[in-house]
Amino acid sequence: MSKVALILSREYSTRVKKKSFIVMTVLVPLLAIGFLVAAVYLGMPKEKDLKILVVDDSPLRVSRFLSNPKDIDRIISAKFSDESKFVDQDKTENEHYYFTAFDTSGTKTYEEALNYFKKSEKFDLLLYLPPTIDNKNPSKLNYKEPPSSVTEKNIYNMVNNIVEKGRIEISNITEKEYNFIKARVPVQSVDVDGKDNQVSTKAAVGLGFGIFIYMFIFMYGVQVMKGVIEEKSNRIVEVIVSSVKPFELMMGKIVGIMLVGLTQLTLWIIVIGLFAVVAMPFLSPDKFDPKFQSSLAESMMTEGVTNVVTENSPVQVIQDNPMLNSMMDMPWFSLIGLFIFYFIGGYLLYGSLMAAIGAAVDSETDTQQFMIPVSMPLMFAYIVSIMGINNPNSAVLNWCSEIPFTSPIVMLVRFASNNGEGLGWQVALSMFLLIVTFVGTTWLAAKIYRVGILMYGKKVTYKELFKWLKY
Amino acid sequence: MLGNYIFEAENIVKKYAAHTALDGVSVAVTSQSVFGLLGPNGAGKTSLIRIINQITAPDSGRVLFNGELLERKHISQIGYLPEERGLYKKMKIGDQCVYLAQLKGMSKKEAKSELMKWFKKFEIDAWWNKKVEELSKGMAQKIQFITTVMHRPKLLILDEPFSGFDPINTNLVKNEILKLRDEGATVILSTHNMGSVEEICDEIALLHNSKKILSGKVNEVKERFSKNQYVIDFKGSVVAFANAVWGGWEMIKREQLSKDVFRITLRLDDGVKLNNFLKHLLDHIEILSVNKLVLSMNDVFIKVISDGDGAESENVETLNAKKDE
Repeated sequence: MSKVALILSREYSTRVKKKSFIVMTVLVPLLAIGFLVAAVYLGMPKEKDLKILVVDDSPLRVSRFLSNPKDIDRIISAKFSDESKFVDQDKTENEHYYFTAFDTSGTKTYEEALNYFKKSEKFDLLLYLPPTIDNKNPSKLNYKEPPSSVTEKNIYNMVNNIVEKGRIEISNITEKEYNFIKARVPVQSVDVDGKDNQVSTKAAVGLGFGIFIYMFIFMYGVQVMKGVIEEKSNRIVEVIVSSVKPFELMMGKIVGIMLVGLTQLTLWIIVIGLFAVVAMPFLSPDKFDPKFQSSLAESMMTEGVTNVVTENSPVQVIQDNPMLNSMMDMPWFSLIGLFIFYFIGGYLLYGSLMAAIGAAVDSETDTQQFMIPVSMPLMFAYIVSIMGINNPNSAVLNWCSEIPFTSPIVMLVRFASNNGEGLGWQVALSMFLLIVTFVGTTWLAAKIYRVGILMYGKKVTYKELFKWLKY
Repeated sequence: MLGNYIFEAENIVKKYAAHTALDGVSVAVTSQSVFGLLGPNGAGKTSLIRIINQITAPDSGRVLFNGELLERKHISQIGYLPEERGLYKKMKIGDQCVYLAQLKGMSKKEAKSELMKWFKKFEIDAWWNKKVEELSKGMAQKIQFITTVMHRPKLLILDEPFSGFDPINTNLVKNEILKLRDEGATVILSTHNMGSVEEICDEIALLHNSKKILSGKVNEVKERFSKNQYVIDFKGSVVAFANAVWGGWEMIKREQLSKDVFRITLRLDDGVKLNNFLKHLLDHIEILSVNKLVLSMNDVFIKVISDGDGAESENVETLNAKKDE
């Protein structure tokens, strides 16, 4: 075994055998999935009945449109599904609204209703429709517990709907005419070939890759730095460099830690994959029910796909969703290829610089002054990438995707956003520049490393680092 | 065997920016000897050692190993115990030793069997699976010594090998060093402990201010600095002593041992015979004892360094050269 391979395998095996590595390997995917599940679960509209007391002071008595006008005095079921004719946005099938009119005939007022609402446990919300309803005089929704934004939005739509209906009544037009006048036509962005490219969605996929590279560079770059500091501070380094060249030691460490990272990544993918296979049926049983699957397969064979797709089948979901649809036709092969290239290239570039930092200092507390200039371009690339989702063709993004210190994170956003079309030479240039630069930084780092690892007790300045390059 | 050098450095110059670490240093180390590399802190010892280990390269000059120009392939024949030394704290001792042996070019199997021998010899075979952080400093020193010698190097470079050892272990290591020498190894010992230099070194070189200012066999060096120097105890008076011998000597030190007993340390001029000198004294004082002064390496070290600081260091070297003639 060559000496670099020896060092590499020590760096690799000591890290992979660490408890923290094993814990991280299992825990991170579990946490990621856990957070995802929690987010989805918490975001899901709850099956909840809301009892709403309505105080209607409007001259048009618009509240009667909430349901059958004859039934105004008793509890009215205004389930969305029933009333979909006037609520055409943000349907939530899981929320039920029950409206009850507060009798305002005679002397009863909003204040009285409010008092009653405070004491009564029968109602969740109090909707007040004032005598004048316009932009300056809002309707009020009183609550004991704040309603969800979905409920707020639904009530807003409902109120506007009934107000519109009231106004239609006193205008000289029919509801049909009004609905014709009122325009809610969608605008779709498509390219010259008429294709909906979902640029932002794709850019977001690229950003996902970019963020992963960003995290990887930080996590494992710091490990390189810590490893160098450890060897330096426990004074074993001089023994080792009497057997191997400092460059071999440095490269063995950098590449060994990179392999640890790749191992971790692979394991995460496997663990997440396994978890998905095991847990998915529990999360949404109907879609993965073997009975459903087999019946789907059967009918597909007999009747053809389009006829059998039931409302919630995965095929239908993908066909219906332009987002998923466009993700399906992304150039995944080149994307993953580029991801691996920029992953390794970016890590080697920053890893070598971090190795140099580790060599230049005596302890981790001294790393601050050197870490800032190294982490700045990384942070910058991260921010540019996030902004890039909304404008993947901006000049900043274009430049940053070529500059080697930012390209590992930024290029993937740019490439993913338009499926890499027409980027051939620009990607090639970016890759070339990255290779040249990491060879350069490695060379530079090796020079600093060689001197630094045997230098103790001095607080190093940039001026001194520059001198070391000439030793 | 004499003249057969395992290591020769010729006219080595090493500069770091504004500072010159080695300024035309030449050293030759005889095979199968223990060679003391001496000098105060910052004299250039570590720079020279790092050049031998090929951790750094000299700016100019020639380095020979066993008659060949020093190359990477010689690394497996050199064992180095640096002054600033340590081990991976979290790694198991056995694994760590095998790893270091492999870096020196041994196979895993070879390393294990050789290491077991050493572990038994040092009575530490129970430590194989322990971690370094569980060891005391002295224990770690033993491990480090073993990792330096386990691949049977032809040239051993030990930088302050005894620091951190108790007297028993110091003795153990001393004996091992001498045994390794007898088995054919050459040892370069860099130390401030002049006692151990006298005990185990055959030859020395003294560096000061980046230059070699003294070298030779330990006995010869001591002899050179003790030449014509005597300690005379006598009864009488110092005036009587001085009156008896007017010239041909120089007083180094005078002590009063009791009311009329004195001790005079003196150096006789070249050509003055001790017997003739004593003859002159006999009629004036009562001589109690006459001893040849034997300087310790410690005395030599202090004398040379303090002289060197006062005068140009080259002068000391020329002086030594004259004495060599």
